[in-house]
Amino acid sequence: MSDKSLTNITRRGFLGTAMGGAAMLAAGPSFAAGKTLNVLSHKVHQTVLGTGDGDLLKDWRATNDADVVWTTFDSNPLQDRLFREASLSATDFNVGYIVDNRPTKQIAAMFEPLDAYLKKDAIEDFGDIAPGLVQGMTVDGRLIGIPVRHATQGLFYNEALLEEQGITAPPTTLEELVEQAQKLTFTSKAGTPVAGMVLASDLAVFPVMFARAFGGDFINAKFELLPNPEAMEKGLTILRKMFEGGALPRSYATTKNDDQVTWLQQGRAAFTVLPFARFAQLNNKEQSKYPGKIKAIEFPISAGLKGKMPMSSIVEAWGMVIPANSKDKDLSWKFIKEVSSKRATLGMAKNGNGPVRVSTYADQSFAANSPVAAVEAAVLKNARGAFPPFPEAARAQSIFLEEVQLAVLGRKEVKEAVASIATRVKPLLQA
Amino acid sequence: MNKITEVVPFLAPVQILILSVIVIPSFYVVWLSLHASSFGQSATFVGLQNYIKVLTDPAFLLALGNTVLIVIFAVHLELALGLGMALLFASGLPCRRVLLVAVLAPYAVSEVIAVAMWRFLFDPDVGPVTAMLTWLGLPMLDWSFEPSHALIMIGLLTIWLHLPFTFIILYAARLAIPKDLYEAARIDGAKPFDAFRRVTIPLLGPAIVVALLFRYIFAFRIFSEVWLMTQGGPARSTEVVAVYLYQEAFSFNAFGTAAATAWIMVLASLLLATGYVFLLRKQVAGNAH
Repeated sequence: MSDKSLTNITRRGFLGTAMGGAAMLAAGPSFAAGKTLNVLSHKVHQTVLGTGDGDLLKDWRATNDADVVWTTFDSNPLQDRLFREASLSATDFNVGYIVDNRPTKQIAAMFEPLDAYLKKDAIEDFGDIAPGLVQGMTVDGRLIGIPVRHATQGLFYNEALLEEQGITAPPTTLEELVEQAQKLTFTSKAGTPVAGMVLASDLAVFPVMFARAFGGDFINAKFELLPNPEAMEKGLTILRKMFEGGALPRSYATTKNDDQVTWLQQGRAAFTVLPFARFAQLNNKEQSKYPGKIKAIEFPISAGLKGKMPMSSIVEAWGMVIPANSKDKDLSWKFIKEVSSKRATLGMAKNGNGPVRVSTYADQSFAANSPVAAVEAAVLKNARGAFPPFPEAARAQSIFLEEVQLAVLGRKEVKEAVASIATRVKPLLQA
Repeated sequence: MNKITEVVPFLAPVQILILSVIVIPSFYVVWLSLHASSFGQSATFVGLQNYIKVLTDPAFLLALGNTVLIVIFAVHLELALGLGMALLFASGLPCRRVLLVAVLAPYAVSEVIAVAMWRFLFDPDVGPVTAMLTWLGLPMLDWSFEPSHALIMIGLLTIWLHLPFTFIILYAARLAIPKDLYEAARIDGAKPFDAFRRVTIPLLGPAIVVALLFRYIFAFRIFSEVWLMTQGGPARSTEVVAVYLYQEAFSFNAFGTAAATAWIMVLASLLLATGYVFLLRKQVAGNAH
């Protein structure tokens, strides 16, 4: 019998075991991918690429022996982090997602021009990607981002609530929309107090849509501020009347984008304006009290302009960029190329992504399962951003929203608020 | 001399830490406040222009006014409540342990959760508290429409969140007062109010000043309650200085004005708390003799 206990560890034994173990690990097969691609995006950009068996990047990972690591943020913090990373001497992030109202000349300079990559290793049928979206990612003639997602705004309505109030068809003009929204401000059979329409007050999208329904705008592509002030006044007057009549909820000033989704899902509002891509979420059986009853149409133009000009709804597009200070740009380009392929675009569209390729809308496997695909494609043809990018755009939007809120809540005359927008935003455009 | 060289390596990590996380960043913020800076462009020297721009901005002045109002209202009301509760607990309450947990609970709640909870409770359309107030025939807190109501709501929320801090400081200080003093006062013919005025308040003085000073500093940088509740709206009417700073830095990417705002914030909070700082110094000096 030995006196040695099995739990006794000698220094020699410990060192020998440690060295042997390290040698085995070094000689053995590697379980992790050889390369890592760091992506900075919104969570939605990651989820639309699927997981598990539906992972659209599964083959790409294997072919390139690379893993994709996602760091996700909400929209504004995402842009802030991306620009912060791109302004350092070096960054670990290989690919970032940028929204199309941010790339000014100064911002664009922080990202790799992609024209040369496109020439050297072309993206499959690049001409199929909507030219308007590509234009949004082109600054001073240099392509800095590849469009990957668009969010085109549509008018959503709860068909069940419309029927409950005896309304047989959704509105075809803005005036009809206002009338129906007023009628739909009631207490439903379920006992829920319903607001005719719910809109977030912290986004320029909504007041701009109302102004565009009268042929106006906030800042157009030519950087003209309030090109038709009367149209903006008409749009804001309608919003104000809706608020006064209760068709916009009392909590309008604190309503957020996410509230719009939950209000519609719970039958607390009859109408809202959201990207068409929200269709599936709004009709999700597990989340919505009205699955299959929430429909979407194009936001209607005013009666005076109906048939004379198309409604220009708002579209927000996202693109993939490569920070100029990042490493392994070839791998970044390979990732962008894969995500932009027809296959991935179609796959992402089926997962709720606004497809940037025209051909995706024609694909039967997508169109058959997406009741709003046809209307979305039609709206997209005339859609454009809420305002073009310029250095003080965020401040201009903040001023615009401040004046809009004052007008809608009745704290300022509409005419006075529009005049104030013109006076306060003009110096920012000149700067 | 030898002793100093022996001690320096032990002190160095602390000095390095303070230098790297407080002193150097502070100087950097001073430097930044004298420059115009944003993403994608090199910083250009503008002198005191950023300070002038901030101090003449009506939105900043409104934010400063709102902050001072919340600080004065919330901190003093919180102190009165905290003091009252500390005295109540010290006087002997049934189920004291359970009640203590209940009073301290808000401090364990995340600010984000607290705001989400309050938003739901006070929702103007479906909030249970709003429904109860309406049922009782009382006016509702119209915080999503009326800026003054929103400020009251923010004030109440910040009091609810931070009351445990003030309470625990005052309660601990009250428990430290020897019972003999109250007994002596009673023998000398002091009534309860006299004992409170002549014994409790003077002996709680240092604790009150410390609680006030901390709460002044915390309350001046109030952010999450406002940002999550109203985002400074409607129409920037409930904005506070920290929200103004956040907007400048992270929404408008104007780092120069954001840095200037930060320094103005430091100076304003010091100015506001000056009286209490002097009081504390006097008390510390008094205790030293």
